Amino acid sequence: MKLFSRYNRLNLLATLLIFLLATIAYYFLLRYVIISQVDENLNIEKDEIESYVAKYNLLPEIMPVEDQQISFIASEITYKKKFFKTVIVYDRIEKETGEFRRLYFTFSVNGKWHLAIVGKSMESSEDLIQSIVIITVCTILLILVASILINRIVLNKLWLPFYKSLHLLKNFKIGNSQAFNFPISNIEEFSFMNNVLREAMVKADRDYLILKEFTENASHETQTPLAIIRSKLDLLIQDENLSKHQGVNLQALYEAIQKLSRLNSSLLLLTKIENNQFKETVEINLKDEIEEKLVQFQEILLNKNLRISVSLDEVIIRMNKELVDILLNNLLSNAIKHNMDGGSINICLSKPQQLMISNTGSTNALDTQRIFTRFYKSQPGNEHTGLGLSILKQICIVSNCTIRYDFKNDIHTFDIEW
Amino acid sequence: MKILIIEDEIEISKSISEYLENEQFFCETAYNYETAYEKISLYDYACILLDIGLPGGSGLDLLERLQKDNKSDGVLIISAKNSLDDKVKGLKAGADDYLTKPFYLPELSARVAAIIRRKSFDGKNIVTCDNLVLDLNKKTATVHENIIDFTRKEYELLLYFLSNKNKVISKNAIAEHLWGDNMDLANNYDFIYTHIKNLRRKLLQAGCIDYVKSIYGMGYKFENPK
Repeated sequence: MKLFSRYNRLNLLATLLIFLLATIAYYFLLRYVIISQVDENLNIEKDEIESYVAKYNLLPEIMPVEDQQISFIASEITYKKKFFKTVIVYDRIEKETGEFRRLYFTFSVNGKWHLAIVGKSMESSEDLIQSIVIITVCTILLILVASILINRIVLNKLWLPFYKSLHLLKNFKIGNSQAFNFPISNIEEFSFMNNVLREAMVKADRDYLILKEFTENASHETQTPLAIIRSKLDLLIQDENLSKHQGVNLQALYEAIQKLSRLNSSLLLLTKIENNQFKETVEINLKDEIEEKLVQFQEILLNKNLRISVSLDEVIIRMNKELVDILLNNLLSNAIKHNMDGGSINICLSKPQQLMISNTGSTNALDTQRIFTRFYKSQPGNEHTGLGLSILKQICIVSNCTIRYDFKNDIHTFDIEW
Repeated sequence: MKILIIEDEIEISKSISEYLENEQFFCETAYNYETAYEKISLYDYACILLDIGLPGGSGLDLLERLQKDNKSDGVLIISAKNSLDDKVKGLKAGADDYLTKPFYLPELSARVAAIIRRKSFDGKNIVTCDNLVLDLNKKTATVHENIIDFTRKEYELLLYFLSNKNKVISKNAIAEHLWGDNMDLANNYDFIYTHIKNLRRKLLQAGCIDYVKSIYGMGYKFENPK
């Protein structure tokens, strides 16, 4: 939910609630005031009746007045005090029920006690209340609509720098060393946030570059000692007096050096891909490339008794030639490496631009969260560098294609789409 | 024949000259740009091994110098950088081949031998060992004019051995020579064993002596007593 909608919703709810309560309170207050007004009028009427009785010692003549009822009833009981009552009465003239405010009091004429009921219709007061309430509600609604509109316009404008910053953040790619042009805002919070963000991004960017440079330098610097060790080994095995035992140890050294230099060159390759050093792209017939690779791998495929089924459409992609080569090499060698003896590989190149390589192998799925991270190994301690899939992923990132891993029915599939 | 090793890493330079030096080759070394410049100006070499990153200057400038002087020395670049760009740049500047560190000395030796052959025999590209004759243009091996039916890999292997006669070559070096980077797939060395077995059998059948010796399971040696 957007910040505005959330704010508006809360705001609207609160305003409505307050206005509703206020309207109800207003209604009762108004009613109270009007009733007191009517009561006062009834009192005046009562005073008139009493002064008439005092003057003439007679019951006053009842004059029919609209919205007013006066009646006298001979009464046994006497009330010490007058009292008011609101009643619903059927009006014979208007043929409808209406609310009446009545004043009851007793008085004596010639020693005879009478109960006087003086009533006034509340009809017109009700109408007044009603119109007042309607006007009030309308005003409130108008105020609400206006405030929502104003809020929306003002808030949108106020938050504009925030959304600009968000947009910048969204487009932030680490290691690109782009300039961070945050909008200048004279609102303290925003300018503070922008400054903090800028600093964090610049720092992240710089740290990343330093780290990358470190990887590159470390790999480069390792190469010379590796070259020395390897060349000395090549010389050492020329010694005719070597024992068999020494030979076995030397072989182990060869293996370790080989692994180390492979690791090293993989790390270098990763850094180079990340550095975008494979920029030049050409049109490549993927079908031809795959067929050529299969010839290269033929011997190894045969050795492992792998059944291979291939279905290749003519697909032309635009990519760096070296990267295509590394990509296919990694995909195929993975499919072979992690396969079992007598397993199978299925390669499917289909239009418009999709390559799927699936293979049998381990009956457990790889950890999809981690397969593309560096040094991920499905089984700890195996022979491989754990960089092959990171290289694949990195190639896909710089070549604008997607790579997906899927595991179904004991078949591992890598799916690349351009 | 003289070979010049231009390499600032003294230990690598030493290893190379120790491996290459025999009755046929004589190695000289240069550890920096100035010495190298002086040597290439004064003498002719059958092959120059050239490191690009040198103290005092770039190996590419030395290449340029050789071109300007119209020297016909063969040049093999040995570089720490493994990139197509550098490779192309070096080859364009007149180098004959390009090898990335860390390399196996037998590989280096094979590349040097190939460069020297190309330079010195003017197209007549033949390698012999006793009665065995390899025609590198036709890619054939013959004994007394009879062609031995080698597969491509066996032929490559034989040529590799002939460029490293009487030297022990590790299985790793053989694997990398024959399969390049793909070799990390095959955890065992069955392939090499099979190829060597077939190579020996075919050589024996053609009437050659058994040249190839296995050395404690760590490598092989092509032995030619003469």
